[in-house]
Amino acid sequence: MNLQATNPVPDSLLLQARAGNRQAFAALVRQHQGSVFSVGLRMLSRRDAAEDLAQDVFLQLYRKLDSIESLEHLGFWLRRVAANLAIDWLRRLPYSATQPLEEGAEVAVQDPDSDPLMSRELTRLLGELAPHPRAVMLLRYQEDQDVAEIAAALDMPVNTVKSHIKRSLTTLRGRMIGAKLIDCEELT
Amino acid sequence: MKPPNSNEHFEDGLRRALRPVDAPDGFTERLMRALPADAKPVLVSSSGAPRARARQFGIPAALAASLLVAVMLGKHVAVEREQLAEQQGREASLELMRALRLTSEKLDIAYQAVQSPPPAGAEENRS
Repeated sequence: MNLQATNPVPDSLLLQARAGNRQAFAALVRQHQGSVFSVGLRMLSRRDAAEDLAQDVFLQLYRKLDSIESLEHLGFWLRRVAANLAIDWLRRLPYSATQPLEEGAEVAVQDPDSDPLMSRELTRLLGELAPHPRAVMLLRYQEDQDVAEIAAALDMPVNTVKSHIKRSLTTLRGRMIGAKLIDCEELT
Repeated sequence: MKPPNSNEHFEDGLRRALRPVDAPDGFTERLMRALPADAKPVLVSSSGAPRARARQFGIPAALAASLLVAVMLGKHVAVEREQLAEQQGREASLELMRALRLTSEKLDIAYQAVQSPPPAGAEENRS
Protein backbone atom coordinates (compact mmCIF):
# COMPACT_ATOMS: atom_id res chain seq x y z
CA MET A 1 0.00 0.00 0.00
CA ASN A 2 1.35 3.38 -0.93
CA LEU A 3 0.78 5.38 2.21
CA GLN A 4 2.45 8.50 0.99
CA ALA A 5 -0.10 8.80 -1.79
CA THR A 6 -3.06 8.74 0.59
CA ASN A 7 -1.40 10.40 3.58
CA PRO A 8 1.14 12.95 2.49
CA VAL A 9 1.73 14.25 6.01
CA PRO A 10 2.66 11.27 8.19
CA ASP A 11 2.21 13.07 11.50
CA SER A 12 -1.38 13.78 10.58
CA LEU A 13 -1.86 10.02 10.34
CA LEU A 14 -0.83 9.70 13.95
CA LEU A 15 -3.12 12.54 14.97
CA GLN A 16 -6.02 10.98 13.11
CA ALA A 17 -5.36 7.61 14.71
CA ARG A 18 -5.23 9.25 18.12
CA ALA A 19 -8.58 10.91 17.38
CA GLY A 20 -10.10 7.46 16.83
CA ASN A 21 -9.78 7.12 13.07
CA ARG A 22 -9.45 3.37 12.57
CA GLN A 23 -8.34 3.68 8.96
CA ALA A 24 -5.46 5.88 10.05
CA PHE A 25 -4.53 3.35 12.71
CA ALA A 26 -4.64 0.57 10.10
CA ALA A 27 -2.30 2.60 7.90
CA LEU A 28 0.13 2.97 10.79
CA VAL A 29 -0.03 -0.77 11.38
CA ARG A 30 0.73 -1.48 7.71
CA GLN A 31 3.76 0.80 7.89
CA HIS A 32 5.27 -1.01 10.86
CA GLN A 33 3.91 -4.55 10.80
CA GLY A 34 6.84 -6.00 8.85
CA SER A 35 9.35 -4.73 11.36
CA VAL A 36 7.37 -5.86 14.41
CA PHE A 37 6.54 -9.25 12.87
CA SER A 38 10.20 -9.80 11.92
CA VAL A 39 11.36 -9.07 15.47
CA GLY A 40 8.79 -11.59 16.72
CA LEU A 41 9.69 -14.21 14.12
CA ARG A 42 13.43 -14.02 14.69
CA MET A 43 13.05 -13.91 18.45
CA LEU A 44 10.44 -16.66 18.82
CA SER A 45 11.34 -18.76 15.75
CA ARG A 46 7.68 -19.50 14.98
CA ARG A 47 5.37 -17.73 12.57
CA ASP A 48 2.22 -18.28 14.65
CA ALA A 49 3.91 -16.98 17.81
CA ALA A 50 5.35 -14.05 15.86
CA GLU A 51 1.89 -13.09 14.59
CA ASP A 52 0.43 -13.37 18.10
CA LEU A 53 3.22 -11.18 19.41
CA ALA A 54 2.74 -8.60 16.66
CA GLN A 55 -1.00 -8.51 17.37
CA ASP A 56 -0.33 -8.04 21.06
CA VAL A 57 2.11 -5.21 20.37
CA PHE A 58 -0.36 -3.35 18.11
CA LEU A 59 -3.25 -3.86 20.54
CA GLN A 60 -1.09 -2.32 23.25
CA LEU A 61 -0.28 0.50 20.86
CA TYR A 62 -3.99 1.13 20.27
CA ARG A 63 -4.51 1.56 23.99
CA LYS A 64 -1.41 3.73 24.40
CA LEU A 65 -1.78 5.96 21.32
CA ASP A 66 -2.31 8.92 23.59
CA SER A 67 1.26 8.64 24.84
CA ILE A 68 2.88 8.50 21.38
CA GLU A 69 4.30 11.88 20.57
CA SER A 70 5.64 11.49 17.03
CA LEU A 71 6.24 8.93 14.30
CA GLU A 72 9.84 8.61 15.47
CA HIS A 73 8.62 7.91 18.97
CA LEU A 74 6.16 5.40 17.51
CA GLY A 75 8.97 3.44 15.85
CA PHE A 76 11.02 3.42 19.04
CA TRP A 77 7.99 2.39 21.11
CA LEU A 78 7.12 -0.50 18.78
CA ARG A 79 10.69 -1.85 18.71
CA ARG A 80 10.97 -1.53 22.47
CA VAL A 81 7.66 -3.28 23.22
CA ALA A 82 8.17 -6.01 20.60
CA ALA A 83 11.68 -6.90 21.78
CA ASN A 84 10.83 -6.85 25.48
CA LEU A 85 7.61 -8.78 24.97
CA ALA A 86 9.49 -11.42 22.99
CA ILE A 87 12.13 -11.73 25.73
CA ASP A 88 9.34 -12.05 28.28
CA TRP A 89 7.58 -14.76 26.24
CA LEU A 90 10.84 -16.66 25.85
CA ARG A 91 11.29 -16.57 29.63
CA ARG A 92 7.81 -17.93 30.23
CA LEU A 93 7.41 -20.30 27.31
CA PRO A 94 9.94 -23.08 26.91
CA TYR A 95 9.27 -23.76 23.27
CA SER A 96 11.87 -21.71 21.51
CA ALA A 97 14.49 -20.34 23.87
CA THR A 98 17.29 -22.05 22.00
CA GLN A 99 15.34 -23.58 19.17
CA PRO A 100 16.41 -22.68 15.65
CA LEU A 101 13.81 -21.50 13.19
CA GLU A 102 11.32 -24.16 12.26
CA GLU A 103 11.34 -25.27 8.67
CA GLY A 104 8.19 -23.39 7.76
CA ALA A 105 9.53 -20.20 9.22
CA GLU A 106 11.95 -19.40 6.46
CA VAL A 107 12.80 -15.78 6.81
CA ALA A 108 15.87 -15.32 4.68
CA VAL A 109 15.40 -12.31 2.46
CA GLN A 110 15.33 -12.83 -1.27
CA ASP A 111 18.08 -10.49 -2.34
CA PRO A 112 19.87 -10.77 -5.68
CA ASP A 113 23.12 -9.68 -4.02
CA SER A 114 22.94 -12.12 -1.18
CA ASP A 115 23.94 -15.73 -0.86
CA PRO A 116 20.73 -17.51 0.18
CA LEU A 117 22.61 -20.27 1.99
CA MET A 118 24.64 -17.74 3.95
CA SER A 119 21.56 -15.69 4.83
CA ARG A 120 19.64 -18.75 5.93
CA GLU A 121 22.51 -19.97 8.07
CA LEU A 122 23.06 -16.57 9.71
CA THR A 123 19.37 -16.33 10.53
CA ARG A 124 19.36 -19.84 11.95
CA LEU A 125 22.46 -19.23 14.07
CA LEU A 126 21.02 -15.98 15.39
CA GLY A 127 18.07 -18.00 16.64
CA GLU A 128 20.46 -20.01 18.78
CA LEU A 129 21.65 -16.98 20.76
CA ALA A 130 20.21 -16.32 24.22
CA PRO A 131 17.18 -13.97 24.25
CA HIS A 132 18.91 -10.75 25.29
CA PRO A 133 21.85 -10.90 22.87
CA ARG A 134 19.43 -12.04 20.16
CA ALA A 135 17.27 -8.97 20.75
CA VAL A 136 20.34 -6.74 20.74
CA MET A 137 21.54 -8.19 17.43
CA LEU A 138 18.09 -7.81 15.87
CA LEU A 139 17.79 -4.19 16.89
CA ARG A 140 21.32 -3.55 15.65
CA TYR A 141 21.27 -5.35 12.30
CA GLN A 142 17.58 -5.67 11.41
CA GLU A 143 16.37 -2.35 12.74
CA ASP A 144 19.66 -0.50 12.25
CA GLN A 145 19.57 1.05 15.72
CA ASP A 146 22.68 2.50 17.32
CA VAL A 147 24.03 1.30 20.64
CA ALA A 148 22.40 4.07 22.69
CA GLU A 149 18.98 3.44 21.13
CA ILE A 150 19.28 -0.28 21.82
CA ALA A 151 20.29 0.41 25.41
CA ALA A 152 17.24 2.64 25.86
CA ALA A 153 14.90 0.15 24.22
CA LEU A 154 16.06 -2.81 26.28
CA ASP A 155 16.77 -0.95 29.53
CA MET A 156 20.37 -2.06 29.69
CA PRO A 157 23.67 -0.20 30.01
CA VAL A 158 25.42 0.85 26.80
CA ASN A 159 28.47 -1.23 27.70
CA THR A 160 26.32 -4.33 28.06
CA VAL A 161 24.90 -3.72 24.59
CA LYS A 162 28.41 -3.35 23.16
CA SER A 163 29.50 -6.49 24.92
CA HIS A 164 26.49 -8.47 23.60
CA ILE A 165 27.24 -7.30 20.05
CA LYS A 166 30.93 -8.15 20.26
CA ARG A 167 30.38 -11.58 21.79
CA SER A 168 27.52 -12.44 19.44
CA LEU A 169 29.54 -11.46 16.36
CA THR A 170 32.40 -13.64 17.58
CA THR A 171 30.04 -16.55 18.22
CA LEU A 172 28.29 -16.23 14.88
CA ARG A 173 31.55 -15.93 12.96
CA GLY A 174 32.94 -18.94 14.81
CA ARG A 175 29.92 -21.02 13.89
CA MET A 176 30.05 -19.87 10.28
CA ILE A 177 33.69 -20.95 10.15
CA GLY A 178 32.71 -24.24 11.77
CA ALA A 179 30.10 -24.74 9.08
CA LYS A 180 32.75 -23.85 6.48
CA LEU A 181 30.61 -21.01 5.19
CA ILE A 182 33.45 -18.54 5.67
CA ASP A 183 37.20 -18.87 5.51
CA CYS A 184 38.95 -18.34 8.83
CA GLU A 185 42.22 -17.30 7.22
CA GLU A 186 40.57 -14.31 5.63
CA LEU A 187 39.09 -13.02 8.86
CA THR A 188 40.58 -9.83 10.17
CA MET B 1 27.33 -11.42 -2.18
CA LYS B 2 30.91 -11.46 -0.98
CA PRO B 3 31.58 -14.00 1.74
CA PRO B 4 31.55 -12.35 5.16
CA ASN B 5 35.28 -12.65 5.58
CA SER B 6 35.96 -9.42 7.44
CA ASN B 7 34.19 -7.62 10.23
CA GLU B 8 32.59 -5.22 7.82
CA HIS B 9 31.58 -7.86 5.32
CA PHE B 10 30.30 -10.09 8.06
CA GLU B 11 28.12 -7.30 9.45
CA ASP B 12 26.88 -6.46 5.94
CA GLY B 13 25.93 -10.09 5.46
CA LEU B 14 24.09 -10.01 8.77
CA ARG B 15 22.18 -6.88 7.76
CA ARG B 16 21.14 -8.49 4.48
CA ALA B 17 20.11 -11.69 6.22
CA LEU B 18 18.09 -9.81 8.80
CA ARG B 19 16.15 -7.46 6.61
CA PRO B 20 12.51 -7.23 7.82
CA VAL B 21 10.14 -9.69 6.20
CA ASP B 22 6.49 -9.08 5.38
CA ALA B 23 3.82 -9.87 7.92
CA PRO B 24 1.43 -12.66 6.89
CA ASP B 25 -1.35 -11.77 4.46
CA GLY B 26 -4.41 -10.33 6.13
CA PHE B 27 -2.53 -9.43 9.30
CA THR B 28 -3.89 -5.87 9.44
CA GLU B 29 -7.45 -7.02 8.79
CA ARG B 30 -7.27 -9.63 11.56
CA LEU B 31 -5.81 -7.05 13.91
CA MET B 32 -8.50 -4.50 13.12
CA ARG B 33 -11.17 -7.11 13.84
CA ALA B 34 -9.55 -7.73 17.23
CA LEU B 35 -9.68 -4.06 18.19
CA PRO B 36 -12.46 -2.98 20.55
CA ALA B 37 -15.30 -1.95 18.24
CA ASP B 38 -16.81 0.89 20.21
CA ALA B 39 -13.94 2.68 21.86
CA LYS B 40 -11.71 5.39 20.59
CA PRO B 41 -8.19 5.22 21.94
CA VAL B 42 -8.46 8.67 23.42
CA LEU B 43 -10.81 11.61 23.25
CA VAL B 44 -8.99 14.35 21.43
CA SER B 45 -10.37 17.87 21.45
CA SER B 46 -10.54 19.98 18.34
CA SER B 47 -7.37 21.67 19.51
CA GLY B 48 -5.78 18.24 19.51
CA ALA B 49 -4.34 18.75 22.98
CA PRO B 50 -6.24 16.71 25.55
CA ARG B 51 -3.45 16.88 28.10
CA ALA B 52 -3.24 20.66 27.87
CA ARG B 53 -6.98 20.84 28.42
CA ALA B 54 -6.68 18.53 31.38
CA ARG B 55 -3.97 20.73 32.83
CA GLN B 56 -6.00 23.87 32.12
CA PHE B 57 -9.27 22.74 33.67
CA GLY B 58 -8.53 19.57 35.56
CA ILE B 59 -6.49 20.98 38.44
CA PRO B 60 -8.80 23.93 39.31
CA ALA B 61 -11.79 21.60 39.04
CA ALA B 62 -10.13 19.12 41.38
CA LEU B 63 -9.33 21.92 43.85
CA ALA B 64 -12.90 23.21 43.73
CA ALA B 65 -14.26 19.72 44.28
CA SER B 66 -11.92 19.21 47.25
CA LEU B 67 -12.98 22.53 48.75
CA LEU B 68 -16.65 21.66 48.35
CA VAL B 69 -16.14 18.28 49.99
CA ALA B 70 -14.22 19.91 52.87
CA VAL B 71 -17.01 22.47 53.43
CA MET B 72 -19.71 19.80 53.34
CA LEU B 73 -17.74 17.62 55.71
CA GLY B 74 -17.18 20.53 58.11
CA LYS B 75 -20.88 21.36 58.08
CA HIS B 76 -21.79 17.76 58.72
CA VAL B 77 -19.38 17.54 61.68
CA ALA B 78 -20.74 20.80 63.15
CA VAL B 79 -24.35 19.56 62.90
CA GLU B 80 -23.40 16.27 64.52
CA ARG B 81 -21.65 18.07 67.37
CA GLU B 82 -24.67 20.31 67.90
CA GLN B 83 -27.00 17.33 68.00
CA LEU B 84 -24.74 15.58 70.48
CA ALA B 85 -24.59 18.62 72.74
CA GLU B 86 -28.38 18.96 72.56
CA GLN B 87 -28.87 15.33 73.50
CA GLN B 88 -26.41 15.62 76.39
CA GLY B 89 -28.28 18.70 77.60
CA ARG B 90 -31.57 16.86 77.48
CA GLU B 91 -30.14 13.95 79.44
CA ALA B 92 -28.65 16.28 82.08
CA SER B 93 -31.99 18.05 82.44
CA LEU B 94 -33.80 14.74 82.94
CA GLU B 95 -31.23 13.71 85.52
CA LEU B 96 -31.70 16.96 87.40
CA MET B 97 -35.48 16.59 87.35
CA ARG B 98 -35.17 13.07 88.68
CA ALA B 99 -32.86 14.24 91.50
CA LEU B 100 -35.23 17.10 92.39
CA ARG B 101 -38.16 14.73 92.47
CA LEU B 102 -36.34 12.36 94.81
CA THR B 103 -35.29 15.22 97.07
CA SER B 104 -38.85 16.49 97.16
CA GLU B 105 -40.15 13.05 98.10
CA LYS B 106 -37.62 12.77 100.94
CA LEU B 107 -38.56 16.21 102.21
CA ASP B 108 -42.25 15.28 102.15
CA ILE B 109 -41.55 12.20 104.23
CA ALA B 110 -39.49 14.19 106.73
CA TYR B 111 -42.15 16.88 106.98
CA GLN B 112 -44.90 14.34 107.58
CA ALA B 113 -42.78 12.71 110.27
CA VAL B 114 -42.32 16.02 112.07
CA GLN B 115 -45.98 17.05 111.81
CA SER B 116 -47.62 13.85 112.94
CA PRO B 117 -48.29 13.61 116.82
CA PRO B 118 -46.34 10.97 118.70
CA PRO B 119 -48.28 7.80 119.71
CA ALA B 120 -49.96 7.82 123.21
CA GLY B 121 -47.93 4.97 124.61
CA ALA B 122 -44.81 6.83 124.01
CA GLU B 123 -45.61 9.60 126.64
CA GLU B 124 -46.48 7.03 129.30
CA ASN B 125 -43.34 5.10 128.81
CA ARG B 126 -41.33 8.31 129.24
CA SER B 127 -42.88 9.11 132.66
